[in-house]
Amino acid sequence: MEEIFVPALGMAMDNAMLLEWLKQPGDTVNAGDVVAVIETDKTTLDLPAETSGVLGKHRYAANEEVPAGNTIAVVLAPGEVE
Amino acid sequence: MSNLDKSTALSLLRQMMVIRDFEETADKLCLRGKVPGGMHNSSGQEAVAVGTLSAIAKDDVIATTHRSHHHTLAKGYSAKSVMAELFTKATGISHGRGGSMHLAEVTEGHFGGNGIVGAGVGIAMGAALGIQHIGDKKIAVGFVGDGGMNTGRTWESINMASIWKLPLIILVDNNQYAVETFVGRVTGGGDLAKRASGFGLPAYNIDGQDVLEVRKYVTEARERALAGEGPTFINALTYRYYGHNVGEKGQYRTQEEIAQWRTTQDPIDKFTGVVISSGFATQAEVDELRASVRKEIDEAVAYAESSPEPEIASITQGVDSGKLGVQL
Repeated sequence: MEEIFVPALGMAMDNAMLLEWLKQPGDTVNAGDVVAVIETDKTTLDLPAETSGVLGKHRYAANEEVPAGNTIAVVLAPGEVE
Repeated sequence: MSNLDKSTALSLLRQMMVIRDFEETADKLCLRGKVPGGMHNSSGQEAVAVGTLSAIAKDDVIATTHRSHHHTLAKGYSAKSVMAELFTKATGISHGRGGSMHLAEVTEGHFGGNGIVGAGVGIAMGAALGIQHIGDKKIAVGFVGDGGMNTGRTWESINMASIWKLPLIILVDNNQYAVETFVGRVTGGGDLAKRASGFGLPAYNIDGQDVLEVRKYVTEARERALAGEGPTFINALTYRYYGHNVGEKGQYRTQEEIAQWRTTQDPIDKFTGVVISSGFATQAEVDELRASVRKEIDEAVAYAESSPEPEIASITQGVDSGKLGVQL
């Protein structure tokens, strides 16, 4: 199970805004697919999956603030449950 | 290699494994926001650190760069004390004052990492001048990156070390990228050892992915320095696998280039081959060694997480000599 999370970038990044989900719960994702787009105080950032599988629940909604370091969704390998 | 014994070989291999596992673990923790201020990952550069530090004495001086976890671990500091410093905890090597970039223990000859490009050579040159003045039987090593090879202070220091025959080793931990700039694009003349030799000291370009080669050159340079014959310049060609800093997007080099270095020039893989072919360990024993390292790093993370923050009341400690009476 791969956790997709908001990376802590820079010296003092506290939160990011989750701008958009590009994959829905239950969607098949391939390694490298962008799952969500976030915005920090400096830039917008694509969050890709590093592994292939099925996307789990959205743990945050679009336009919601996410603390740096927090997981926004998981990618489930065959047989895994969230 | 003929005089390499089993316990030394396994120690060199294990130290490189510790650095790799430490860095990859710390990198992930940094992305999760556990490492205040970020960090610079040295994965790929293990042989430069271990080859150098294994060839010098415990009380020799080192001064390093912004990327200094590998030098610090190779000097013999525990993964626990370095990880705790990354978490800025009181149990860290710098008592939680320094964080990733300022690992230091000056009383034991670790003159620290720092945030100034090329500063390590100047600091080590000063230490070498002090060593010569006092008449100690030790040396100083100044680590510098390829980026620091184009700073004036570095060459002023090399010149002074040369004319005064200081007991100094200039060790270029040349990972080929000054942040995003490829060394080949910014090196006039193209050959760093040739540039250094113009200052009148022995200068070598060596394979920084071969721990035994680094160890051999540093051993010889140390003997020269102790014999009063002056400094040596060693440019160790290496490669960093991750970005300049954690979380960097890294669009200045190709994934193919990184994969090429990882698969054909990896210092741990190369030396594992030497260890196995010399009969010092079987593949199964190497796997056991790796597992014991994994456990050690897990314990270091648990130690760092559970360690206390520095006490507010101790905030003036280390600010002065203790004689000025600085108070909150």
